[in-house]
Amino acid sequence: MTTAVRTTVPDTAGGGAGDTSPRRRARRYEALSGYLFVAPAVVLFLVMGVYTVGYGFALSFATWNGFTPDWTWVGLDNYADLLWRDPIYAPRVRHAALNTLWVMVAVPTLTVAVSFPLAVLLNQAKRMQSVLRSVYFVPYVTTGIAVFFAWQYILQPDGAINTLLDGLGLGSLAQPQGWLGNPHTALPTIIVVTVWSSVPVSMLLYLTGLQGIDRSVLEAAQLDGAGWWRTNASVVWPLLRPITAIVVLLNLRESLQGFQTFLVMTNGGPGDHTNVLGLEAYRLAFLKNLSPTLGLSSALGWILFAVALILALINLRALRSKT
Amino acid sequence: MTSISVKARPVTPDDARARRRRLIARTVVGVLLGLYGLVSVYPFLWMVSAAFKDQVEVVRGGHLIPQNPTFDTLVDTWNKLHFFDFFMNSLLVTVYTVVLTVVVYSAAGYAFAVLRFPGRGALQKLFVSLLFVPGVTVMLPIVMLENKLGILGTHFGLVLPFVNGGAPLSILLMTGAFLAVPSELRDSARVDGASELRIFTGVYLPLARPALITVALLTAIPTWNEYLLTRVSLNDPSTFTLPLGLQTLSSESVPHYNNLMAGALIVVIPVIVLFLSLQRYFVNGLVGAVKG
Repeated sequence: MTTAVRTTVPDTAGGGAGDTSPRRRARRYEALSGYLFVAPAVVLFLVMGVYTVGYGFALSFATWNGFTPDWTWVGLDNYADLLWRDPIYAPRVRHAALNTLWVMVAVPTLTVAVSFPLAVLLNQAKRMQSVLRSVYFVPYVTTGIAVFFAWQYILQPDGAINTLLDGLGLGSLAQPQGWLGNPHTALPTIIVVTVWSSVPVSMLLYLTGLQGIDRSVLEAAQLDGAGWWRTNASVVWPLLRPITAIVVLLNLRESLQGFQTFLVMTNGGPGDHTNVLGLEAYRLAFLKNLSPTLGLSSALGWILFAVALILALINLRALRSKT
Repeated sequence: MTSISVKARPVTPDDARARRRRLIARTVVGVLLGLYGLVSVYPFLWMVSAAFKDQVEVVRGGHLIPQNPTFDTLVDTWNKLHFFDFFMNSLLVTVYTVVLTVVVYSAAGYAFAVLRFPGRGALQKLFVSLLFVPGVTVMLPIVMLENKLGILGTHFGLVLPFVNGGAPLSILLMTGAFLAVPSELRDSARVDGASELRIFTGVYLPLARPALITVALLTAIPTWNEYLLTRVSLNDPSTFTLPLGLQTLSSESVPHYNNLMAGALIVVIPVIVLFLSLQRYFVNGLVGAVKG
């Protein structure tokens, strides 16, 4: 910052010793303004972004409880402990990884399975489109603790979902312990809630993609005798593959790293049946009080980052080879 | 394109059948779309319903339409549980975050879009790369850092990471909007001797208004709903935002679902109103953001 202030002086003074041509002076003025315009963003980024990322990375190689003045450096021990060595944490991580894997398979698949047909149908309903689009968007806008409590409320033992099932004559499907209380239904239920909140953005992306398709392509398909199903399955779906790639990637990342729904709705229960890796990292960092698990939490966070990066690269590769 | 083959001909039974089939198809589509609309708002219907029920009725579960609808639950929740304070805290944090985001990143976006300076490309890439770092990985370092700086537990300590978190998206959107401004405007302003700041505020910002609104909305909504970092940062109930205030309701030994849902409704209504009134910008901005 101080250097920036100093260099403004020759400019405002009408040119220093080195500035002979006005062209060069203009270029210097422009570069200087450039630095001044990005300065606030860069300063914030250096402190809140770069510093914290570096700090977290360093912490993942240390043992610390957050209170003692010094870190104990342990090298890669945290990573080894999490992945296979520690008799307490390694099995927990493995269990959480399995749950996370389920979420990572189910959420993107179901989101695509719901949002693609929904977008196709919505694209045909010209008259109601804008109203319906707003209605479909409400889950995205409100995603957060309030709406998760609403889900919790309707999923309780005598909540609306069980009542609805009874009313439809499907009482045998109702869950007397509540949908989040039964170890077998808790994870699938959270998956459904997650899909519910991720459909809006995916549907919107598909809808934009659909509106970008050249009409003549569809008419050509129809002239060739393709019906509605055939056109959508063999023409529209392949054309929108790049959008599917984005939708899958966004949802994979969120499934891998997100845990807010789990924290609010079940806190990992019943009996760790809905514990996921993000939640485990959160617990190791914030719920262990005086245990020296902060390094472990950091290491787990970086493992999540590495997996996300690998997935993004695979996704990019797959996308490129097909187009 | 197809107009070549159009010929006037008498209506045949085939046409009637086709028309009927189209009508059936349209009805099926309408019903399916309507059903998903119901799925989308289902939890809200019960949220609203419970917020208008009293303690006795909410325990009995029962009907979506409250039998003795009452405003008492909402008024109760608002008054007794300090929801006014939580509301004001949320509003303050959101407004600060939005204003800072808009100011800081419109300036940065202007620099990236319009001004040439050494290191521009590298800086731009650095900001976008932030997108890939998981939130849970930096949460702990943020708390540690703020503790050192003495801003942990303050609203300012929330605003800084929120603003920084929005950097990639905001810069992307603002840069895109400024790139779309024709460079002739800028050149003529320069010839008139306008300063860089003058060109930015007088020419570029007014033209980028839709993008500014989009950035403001895409910042305001997640900030209003934010829960995780707030939960680990704030300790003093007088600083709590709405989501945290709501959380205190559910951690009672027996959650009173009518109060909890009334609280949830208080959290949700402002964002829904904001979304509905500005949804044109919101939807376009979201698509632009993900595409870019």
